Amino acid sequence: MVSEEKVLGVTLSKKNNNFYFPGQNSDSAGLDVLFEESLSAGAIRTCRQRMLVAIAGFMLVYLIIAIRVISVCLTDGIRIYTPGEDAAESEIYIGTPISRADITDRNGAIIATSLPTVNLYANPKNVRNPEDIAEKLSLLFPEISYNDLIAKLTRKRTSFSMIKYNLSPAQQAAVNNLGIPALEFQKSEKRVYPHKNLFSHILGYTNIDNLGLSGVEKSLHKRLTESSKPLRLSLDMGIQDTIREELLAAVEEFQAEGASAILMDVKTGEIISMVSVPDYDPNLSIPVGDRSLFNFATQGVYEAGSVFKTFNTALGLESGKVKINDKFDATKPIKVQGITVSDYRGENRWLSVGEILIYSSNIGSAQLISRIGKDAQRRFLINMGFEEPLSDFEVFEKGRPLFPSQKKWRDDTMATVSYGYGVSVTPLHLIAAFSSLINGGIYHYPTLLKSVEGQHPARRVISGHTSENMRKLLRDVVVYGSAKKANIPGYQVIGKTGTANKLVGGRYVDKKVITSFISAFPESNPQYALLVVMDEPKGSKKTFGFVTSGWNAVPVGGKIISQIAPQLDIQADFDLDVQRQHVKAAYVR
Amino acid sequence: MINTKTAITILWFTLTCVICFGSFVLKNQVHDLETELSKINSNIQKDVKTIHVLKAEWSHLNNPSRLKKLASEHISLNKVRAEQIINYSALPFQYENGGIDEVVTAGVNNKEYKKLVKAER
Repeated sequence: MVSEEKVLGVTLSKKNNNFYFPGQNSDSAGLDVLFEESLSAGAIRTCRQRMLVAIAGFMLVYLIIAIRVISVCLTDGIRIYTPGEDAAESEIYIGTPISRADITDRNGAIIATSLPTVNLYANPKNVRNPEDIAEKLSLLFPEISYNDLIAKLTRKRTSFSMIKYNLSPAQQAAVNNLGIPALEFQKSEKRVYPHKNLFSHILGYTNIDNLGLSGVEKSLHKRLTESSKPLRLSLDMGIQDTIREELLAAVEEFQAEGASAILMDVKTGEIISMVSVPDYDPNLSIPVGDRSLFNFATQGVYEAGSVFKTFNTALGLESGKVKINDKFDATKPIKVQGITVSDYRGENRWLSVGEILIYSSNIGSAQLISRIGKDAQRRFLINMGFEEPLSDFEVFEKGRPLFPSQKKWRDDTMATVSYGYGVSVTPLHLIAAFSSLINGGIYHYPTLLKSVEGQHPARRVISGHTSENMRKLLRDVVVYGSAKKANIPGYQVIGKTGTANKLVGGRYVDKKVITSFISAFPESNPQYALLVVMDEPKGSKKTFGFVTSGWNAVPVGGKIISQIAPQLDIQADFDLDVQRQHVKAAYVR
Repeated sequence: MINTKTAITILWFTLTCVICFGSFVLKNQVHDLETELSKINSNIQKDVKTIHVLKAEWSHLNNPSRLKKLASEHISLNKVRAEQIINYSALPFQYENGGIDEVVTAGVNNKEYKKLVKAER
């Protein structure tokens, strides 16, 4: 019989005085003998079935493992790393560490980017010796005072106390070398403008948390944070720099309060350059309440003065009520509803439509508009975009035009508006409207984005014929009139000057003026329009004391055009003989 | 003699062992590859970051004012003037007739200019 006995702590089975070691009794032959001896046939069958089920179970498990192994070997198996769903996108911008997109100019040069940095913070719960840490840190960061550091390190009930934003790699290494476990780093990024002042008013700036606070950074904040693809603007860095340097020189020369210039592609409405000086460096701390923050180009709502005569003349020609050879009486000042319209250094004679522009006659302009009427004038100016604040333009800061209501638009308003007083607009409004006059009559909504079909479709505002006539008239202004200093040989510049007295405390002040020169080139097929505006230029010996546009804004405009036209691939229109002389001259020199 | 039952058992046992060992080796290899992949990925990240910073630096170095200053210091390149851009036909040779235009060359006594005329011939 089976008896059990413990030998060396192991249970041994004993059968008929034969020893079986553990496992030995599982010998099938032995089992069979055992079963035959002691168990019924039914029980054996059940046992076998159970074993079969167990074997089948094991086989199934191993089969699954085998299949899985083969599938892992032969196929991709588990997808561990997928950089992006869109293959094309991930190819170029794989794992960009920067969350805010770059901004580039029209040629792809980076004008705003973000650099990866780290922020330094302390976990006050881990701070053992605040005095020691504060002492070490204040040596590294002299700009943070010791007391501030102590206060930050001993803040209660928090495990996060920011110490310093945007550490440079060298500073980070120095902090790491201190070996203080309570100090930790947080990944961050810092917005950087590699060209400093060059695009300050357009790009604007962001705060420490990379939230756009001004300019394109503010108005296109959503686009910049949603996609890491660089945002391409229509600006040209080289042109922008040329224009800015000329403006800075002009502000210096004429002791002006400020100046602004806009260069626009008249066929698309793209802004190639937009400068306003004084400006600021958005990399540094932003000045508060300073003139340099003011973007004259989009915020400077001013009475443009004689520049408006171009719109007046265009309206006259477009209406059909004025023919290009018509003459108007400008012999003496006229009175309209109590105001007297007179000319600055007037011709005091009958003037043709062209001469009104050449000599910039206020009387002639007022006479001309009186044939057309105030309602048509107001409608035309609204069509020119002078009433709306251009709210979809991509720079956030924009001025709202001062445009009298229908009720306030009386006969005297009609007369003053004809020569540019009574309606105040920004330089951006002016250039967009002017472009439409000379490009064949199509108004393009101004934009800073490169070749993007905007939500404002181009619209016809005057006929192609009127536009052609306007170009001829404006060419005469440059050849014979007040804009002679911008008559750059070869580029057939067309344009109109304007000098407007500034309103100071509700009164027009004689010596304080805003001078404008609006131009386009070349006459035969204008590609670009340029507006130069100067705020309070002073007279000098060189200008014989004059402060009118022809002495400051015009020569500046001329200098700019002569420099940027070759950059813009505009071929000078010289006679073949003149060109040959140039070639010879180049070698004779 | 080994009977069929034993043979099948041995076969299954061997297969199990092989598969066990195989999957173990495979797992190790996958683990190694994963480590390598994450290393490569982090290197890519680092490189992308570096490239990004370098791009910003490059843009900074390409500042037009700086280039202008460097150009005026080191090379005698000035701004292009309008009269420097000319038509091909303004060059001093008559490519239509295949001969030198005497009128054009008259009055110019310059080696380079003559070279230019000769070059076309």
